[in-house]
Amino acid sequence: MWKYLVKRFLLMFPTLLGVALLTFVLIRVIPGDVVELRYAGDRGSVSQDVLEKERARFGLDQPLWRQFATWVLGVARLDFGESMWTGAPIWQEIRLRFALSLQVAIMATLVAVVLAIPLGVLAALKQDSWIDYAVRIFSIAGLATPSFWLGIVFILLLLVVFHWLPPMIYTPFWVSPWENLKQLIWPALAVGYRYSAVATRMTRSAMLEVLREDYIRTARAKGLVQRLILARHALKNAMLPVLTVVALEFAFLIGGLVVTEQVFNLNGLGLLFVQAVAHRDYTLIQALVMLVAGVFIVVNFLMDIGYAWIDPRIRYR
Amino acid sequence: MGSLLDVVDLQTQFVTRGGVVRAVDGVSWDVAEGETVALVGESGCGKSVSALSIMRLVAAPAGRVVGGRILFKGRDLLQLDEESMRRVRGSEIAMIFQEPMTSLNPVLTIGRQITEGLETHLGMAPTAARARAAELLSMVGIPDPARRLPQYPHQFSGGMRQRMMIAMALACEPALVLADEPTTALDVTIQAQILELMKSLSRRLGVAMLMITHNLGIVARYADRVNVMYAGKIIERGTAREIYATPRHPYTLGLLRSVPRLDEPRRARLDPIEGQPPDLTRLPGGCAFAPRCAFRVERCAVETPPLRPIGAPGHVTACWEAERLTAVREPVGGRR
Ligand SMILES: Nc1ncnc2c1ncn2[C@@H]1O[C@H](COP(=O)(O)OP(=O)(O)O)[C@@H](O)[C@H]1O
Ligand SMILES: [Mg+2]
Repeated sequence: MWKYLVKRFLLMFPTLLGVALLTFVLIRVIPGDVVELRYAGDRGSVSQDVLEKERARFGLDQPLWRQFATWVLGVARLDFGESMWTGAPIWQEIRLRFALSLQVAIMATLVAVVLAIPLGVLAALKQDSWIDYAVRIFSIAGLATPSFWLGIVFILLLLVVFHWLPPMIYTPFWVSPWENLKQLIWPALAVGYRYSAVATRMTRSAMLEVLREDYIRTARAKGLVQRLILARHALKNAMLPVLTVVALEFAFLIGGLVVTEQVFNLNGLGLLFVQAVAHRDYTLIQALVMLVAGVFIVVNFLMDIGYAWIDPRIRYR
Repeated sequence: MGSLLDVVDLQTQFVTRGGVVRAVDGVSWDVAEGETVALVGESGCGKSVSALSIMRLVAAPAGRVVGGRILFKGRDLLQLDEESMRRVRGSEIAMIFQEPMTSLNPVLTIGRQITEGLETHLGMAPTAARARAAELLSMVGIPDPARRLPQYPHQFSGGMRQRMMIAMALACEPALVLADEPTTALDVTIQAQILELMKSLSRRLGVAMLMITHNLGIVARYADRVNVMYAGKIIERGTAREIYATPRHPYTLGLLRSVPRLDEPRRARLDPIEGQPPDLTRLPGGCAFAPRCAFRVERCAVETPPLRPIGAPGHVTACWEAERLTAVREPVGGRR
């Protein structure tokens, strides 16, 4: 068990380094850099000399390997440097947005799990009944509905029916939980619905598979009550694939909610990402990618712990 | 000896795309208290479905018991509501399955899988149940039970797992255990150990047993009486000794010849019965075994032979030509 987890833990570092290298190279492949873009408005009127000086200020005149080394060594000390566009420290740029994105992702996950597990189990138990069809329609609709569109519908409904709009200004949870939730519950629901659709389908199919297993028949032959068979014997086994889907989806939500953030006027990581790329703000893009990759990797690690916790065959390897 | 289980004209069918599979087709047999009865036949003849029908665990909605009665201690199990039937399972009738590798839940400890039955049926407190589980493990020959209880199935060999299945089955002291090919998936050396264990435990605890197997060789040693099954029907029944010494159905004879025999170690090859069992969705008229039978006469293809007494009391066969089988227990006879 410990060997397994330590191995998984150590594996996180080379993975992150790989991501760092890949990001570093890829964003430099996109034509144009931050200096060019900043002075693009004054094309021609700015001398080549000034541009070179600006580049030197950001260290862009250095050989690539040196730029990379400087950056990675900084990251290792958790120093991401400053934004090339605004000049503000990266951490300051990201902090609140990350808190917001993380919170929306966590809330959406809660929404998804709370919907998906009962619905998926129910659908599996009543396979091919009207309940099953209802659940399947509900989840297919969830897959087909863009979250931002659902968000717009929410806003319109709130406005038309309750003559109320969610707050437009972000209040951190630790400042006022109530104000915070009033704003974030809606995007969490909008995103959580689609998310739950994925998880519901996975729960349903995993349950259907598990319910056909020999050990379920054994449990029945023991005369256990249905509730115990489901909760103890079936669900625990069915949770493995569900855990995977939930974890991967969660990691995606951290940086992937560009349009939904716009709809709810949220300053999350998604929008920042788009802006950073538009500005060729290398340091910011790199930091964001590292952050999202970090979340991804940490979530994966937690998933591995979850696996080991559920399945003794992994734990004892 | 009173009858513990009386299966009367049991019919179980599966509705499939290929048609209705008559897996168990009007079968009657019984088990007395404390007795070990064997149910023998080739793969696919309806043995497992018979046992599952008694437990009422045939996979619905495709599978359904469509007729007959299953009288257990005088009550018809088929008439019980689901909750009463649940109380019978595991506490009065227990079942052991063929596949020890897949029949135990991989994510639950052995202790948990034994104690849950005790807690459910006997209302035992967790500590008492754990003590009893340890007792059961040592009863089935698993050393150091206290250390074993918190372990998981994958930490045990197939033979050990089958011992645990036995411990689970006996946990609530049922009156009847249905053992569905409990040793088929195991190594030959382990098979004998497990069978001996089951035999001695059933004697000691006075548990009746339905021993399902496709190996008639096992039967002679471990069963009191034998039901031979073919294509969803019982085609011969008698005491183990009778069946072994004087089989009165060509199919039984064939089964006996396909068993490796310890007293003839150098026999060049075993004789499996030629041909395939019939398709259970469209059984022909007459005797289902006729197409594969060396004793076949014209009548066999037209008239289905009923079970009729022959020889010793209690010995019945469903063969028109049973009398011709008298002295052909050993080689050649009319085959080939
Ligand atoms: N779930 C099922 N669906 C359809 N047919 C089944 C099912 N289970 C068993 N059968 C059929 O019933 C017959 C008897 O099966 P079974 O009792 O498992 O045989 P065995 O004697 O080997 O235990 C077989 O022909 C099998 O194909
Ligand atoms: Mg079988």
